[in-house]
Amino acid sequence: MIKPGAWLAKAAPLFACIGLLCLWQAASLVMKTDSFPTALESIRAIPAILGEREALVNIADSLRRMAIGLILAVLFAIPLGLMMGRIRRVASFFNPLLMVIYPVPKAALMPVIMLWLGVGDVSKTLVIFLGVSLPIIYHSFQGARAVEEKMLWSGAAMGLTAMQRMVRIVLPAALPEILTGCRTGLVLALITMVTSEMIARQSGAGNILFNSLDMGQYDTVFAMIIIIGAMGICLDAVFEVVRGWLVRWSEPQFDMPLSFS
Amino acid sequence: MTVLPLRSEIEGATALSGVVSEARAAMAMIEIDRVSQTFQTSGRQNHLALSEISLSIEDGAFVSILGPSGCGKSTLLYIVGGFVNPTAGVARVKGKAITGPGPDRGPVFQEFALFPWKNVLGNVMYGLRQQGASRAEAETQSRRLIEMVGLKGFENFYPKELSGGMKQRVAIARTLAYHPAVLLMDEPFGALDAHTRNRLQNDLLNIWERDRKTVLFVTHSVDEAVFLSDKVVVMTRAPGRIKTIVDIDLPRPRRRADLLLDPRYQKYVVDIERLIDDTGEVEAHP
Repeated sequence: MIKPGAWLAKAAPLFACIGLLCLWQAASLVMKTDSFPTALESIRAIPAILGEREALVNIADSLRRMAIGLILAVLFAIPLGLMMGRIRRVASFFNPLLMVIYPVPKAALMPVIMLWLGVGDVSKTLVIFLGVSLPIIYHSFQGARAVEEKMLWSGAAMGLTAMQRMVRIVLPAALPEILTGCRTGLVLALITMVTSEMIARQSGAGNILFNSLDMGQYDTVFAMIIIIGAMGICLDAVFEVVRGWLVRWSEPQFDMPLSFS
Repeated sequence: MTVLPLRSEIEGATALSGVVSEARAAMAMIEIDRVSQTFQTSGRQNHLALSEISLSIEDGAFVSILGPSGCGKSTLLYIVGGFVNPTAGVARVKGKAITGPGPDRGPVFQEFALFPWKNVLGNVMYGLRQQGASRAEAETQSRRLIEMVGLKGFENFYPKELSGGMKQRVAIARTLAYHPAVLLMDEPFGALDAHTRNRLQNDLLNIWERDRKTVLFVTHSVDEAVFLSDKVVVMTRAPGRIKTIVDIDLPRPRRRADLLLDPRYQKYVVDIERLIDDTGEVEAHP
């Protein structure tokens, strides 16, 4: 028997969705402008988009770029962050560099990158990579720095080399923190993905969205927002399940902050 | 002053010749030779933590280092562990100068320092696997050790699911698993409640009686040091120096109930407490 309170807590995100849609519906009915279709109209436009082959190809393109950018970022950022956390010299070299790069919106680099690398996949994937790397580096760095010294000493006494300690002690010990960074990175990847497609329109979910906007197809615009939003929510939910399983051994921590920086 | 380098030259030479070094090993498992340790404080000042410590520990001896907090007793243990390099002097294990950590010296820390992502069995197996034991072999040995420290049935528990006393039992088993010649215990029972601490002291002695490993045991509890040790090294406040070494001549195997009534035990405790009071700090008993 699950208590009613627990059911309520589980269903809360659903209620939030329904609540937002109701609010939207009401606001749109009150405002009565063409550029703000009602929630129902927008939802009704979704099947038309998803039934269209070209739209699906566009969305798949977006997801592919997002996945590649994200994977590259993970492969690059985790080792760098861990090394920064454990090796003072690496930290003192990269920290000032990252401090300068951090507040620069990565999408603002898009025009320059387009100029050099064209408007194709490479530019967009690179922007996603840049946007995602920083939070993962930061959290890996924090995670590695917090690893208990005595845990590393215990490993050293067992005969683990410095490299083995990095991979087999620092990495797993910092994993909860690293995955917090990856979750932020996942959401940032989605945001950068859409932004990059807004700037370099050629293909992708963002492309559909902004083309429809230009053509005044407002129901399609809002339907795309729902689709992209739903993609984000689903990806995040799946990631949370995987994360929960990977760090099932860790001490229960505070609820994850929803950091969309 | 030419005498000093000469002496170390001779020692270096004897370590090379097998016969002599064997004889030396029989004499001393650990040799600490005029070891000093200086730390730089945040104010850029040099803080002398250990001053010219010399100590020799025989194979199979249970030696406690006792002193007020901040006297550098843990630092001394870390130097023997190879985790900290001394500013001056040299520490040797089996006649060989210590340059880093190694599986011949197994640490047990007050903070347990278990691997939280491994369950009890995984933690105990870790060192054995690292030393090249097969999975089956490591598992058999580890299960036996887990039973020995009284945790049979908890093999699949993660550290977060264990109490402090249980965690320290796992840590002891994890270290014993790879058969270090020396156990380095850094206030291992300091974070536990009195009842748990007593039980772990008893169990540690029982385990120790089986193979009589060399143990270097850092503590600030006089009772604990007298109850467990063959020798108690009393240190002064910072800079840490050895004040006295007290030989504890009490029969083994020791039982707490017998000892508490034994006037010899009581005298050791009172004498050592006086010694520590002389160093200028009254250490509250935990």
